[in-house]
Amino acid sequence: MKKIVVADDDEGILDALTLILSDAGYAVAVTTKGEETFRKVTEYEPGLILLDILMSGKDGRDICKRLKQNEKTKQIPVIMISAHPSAGDSIHECGADGFLAKPFDTGDLLSVVKKFLGE
Amino acid sequence: MRNVLQYLNPIARLGTKQYSILFPLITLLLTCIILEVFVYMFLHDPNAVGLFAIFVFIALIIYFSFRDGVRAGFLSVGITIAYYFYIIYTRRYTGNQLEEGINTTIILGLLYFFLAGVIGWLKQTIDTLIEKEAEEKQRLQAIVQQMPVGVLITDSKGRVVQGNKHIEQILGRKMREGLTAGQDTLLVSEMQHQPVPPSQWPLAQALATGRAVVGKEFALARDKGRKTYVQISASVIRNKKGKIVAAVSIVNDVTEQKELERRKDDFVNMASHELKTPITSMKLYIDSLQIRMKQLQEEKALKTITSIKYQTERLQKLVNDLLDVSRLQTGKLSYTKEQFDLDELVRQVVDELQESTQKKLQLSSVADITVLADRFRMYQVLTNLITNAIKYSPNADTITIRVKKEKEEAIISVKDFGIGIDKMQQKKIFERLYQVTDDQEKTFPGFGMGLYISKEIVTRHKGKIWVESEKGKGSTFFVTLPVANL
Repeated sequence: MKKIVVADDDEGILDALTLILSDAGYAVAVTTKGEETFRKVTEYEPGLILLDILMSGKDGRDICKRLKQNEKTKQIPVIMISAHPSAGDSIHECGADGFLAKPFDTGDLLSVVKKFLGE
Repeated sequence: MRNVLQYLNPIARLGTKQYSILFPLITLLLTCIILEVFVYMFLHDPNAVGLFAIFVFIALIIYFSFRDGVRAGFLSVGITIAYYFYIIYTRRYTGNQLEEGINTTIILGLLYFFLAGVIGWLKQTIDTLIEKEAEEKQRLQAIVQQMPVGVLITDSKGRVVQGNKHIEQILGRKMREGLTAGQDTLLVSEMQHQPVPPSQWPLAQALATGRAVVGKEFALARDKGRKTYVQISASVIRNKKGKIVAAVSIVNDVTEQKELERRKDDFVNMASHELKTPITSMKLYIDSLQIRMKQLQEEKALKTITSIKYQTERLQKLVNDLLDVSRLQTGKLSYTKEQFDLDELVRQVVDELQESTQKKLQLSSVADITVLADRFRMYQVLTNLITNAIKYSPNADTITIRVKKEKEEAIISVKDFGIGIDKMQQKKIFERLYQVTDDQEKTFPGFGMGLYISKEIVTRHKGKIWVESEKGKGSTFFVTLPVANL
């Protein structure tokens, strides 16, 4: 079973993402805190990370930068999520691999996930 | 000395309305006494008085009627005539000489009265006119000073004549006379980070072209980097012959307004973003639920879920519209241009919308047209026009969509047979937050943002959007787009 880590400070969206992704047959680990993301990723060793740009107290892009600088985690694809469509332009600087603008459909989500998990 | 001259100078007293009686009385009596003394004591010839009297007294009558008005003029004449008679009496005229002296005095008296009357009346009329004008000027000055906007008045050369206290507050400097618009750097200014040369100021432009400049916006860079936003209008004032005699400029400080607008846009922006996250969750939950119900083959529940999904999409569209409007307001709506087949896009929109409506969407005259535009934004415009056509034709069952090419333009038309729009409303429908009502003043659901957004998008693509409509018969919306030159 392929593993995905989802980091978002909104409980509602975490819950919904978990539901959809586990229905689609993925194992999901979630976190609402920026700092916790590193621990979750190193422990869980997922095949993909979904990361919200606006994390409480921390910019998702900084987290992404750190993940991409770390030898152990840098090969894991990171998809940034934001309600700001123009945020899509700034994600490449932090090394993120993809971008999803809120509100997205289940179809959009699953096709992006499949693409980066190489399915 | 100066005061004495001012007191004696009749021109300086014009407009004062201070009419003295004592001064002419004393002066004339003194003159009589001096003349008497002069001829008796120095010339030793009492009859020589006649040589001077006429000239001296006529000068005094003119002087006093011009200085102190009709009353003083008549008083002078009275004293003069009395003195003439005194001369006739004291010089002991007889016979022919006496008769001639009396006749001459009477004729001169009448002439003097006429002269004093005319001059005095002229003087008093001028005084009244000057006073009226001064009052008018004062009233105007008070209005200009009290105006809640900055006012600057210059002559035809652009030299400052007057500025009120507001303009001094806004511009942060004294508007002393002698400054010249278009030459002096009246204002340190910039417009979109570009300094504006003085000759580009509305006042200078109005003077140069003779045409009014209305509501131009500028950002004034003030000390400490604080910016003042102003809206400036200017126009020239012409005399009856059409020659420019002055110019007036109205400067309105809109900084606070701008700040409020910015805060409002920030709020709408923030609120829309906050709304997007729960909408995303809802959509995901609904999809998940839909999958489950499909597995359970719960037909009734599936129908409800479809309705929930439709409503969520409506909510999503509203939030997106709100965001678009706030971005349009701040000029932050971005466009990406790509080449695509218009026919294909129209077909996609029609197919998508056909799924959610009972009405027949007829697509005709589709030609092979490639345009260079933002595909997503054009999708938005088309969706808007067709959704409107559906919404505003509750009792008709067909919508006709046409795409054709004319010269270098692609023309899309969306025709409905609905409630129609009367002439008055046709002008307003492309304004922000305007909504059409029907005969019963019933409004239709929505925010009234669609056509405003569509117009902005089409205009940015160098295209045109307009409507032809008749109340009760339906409307046709047209959109033109330049064709891409391959």
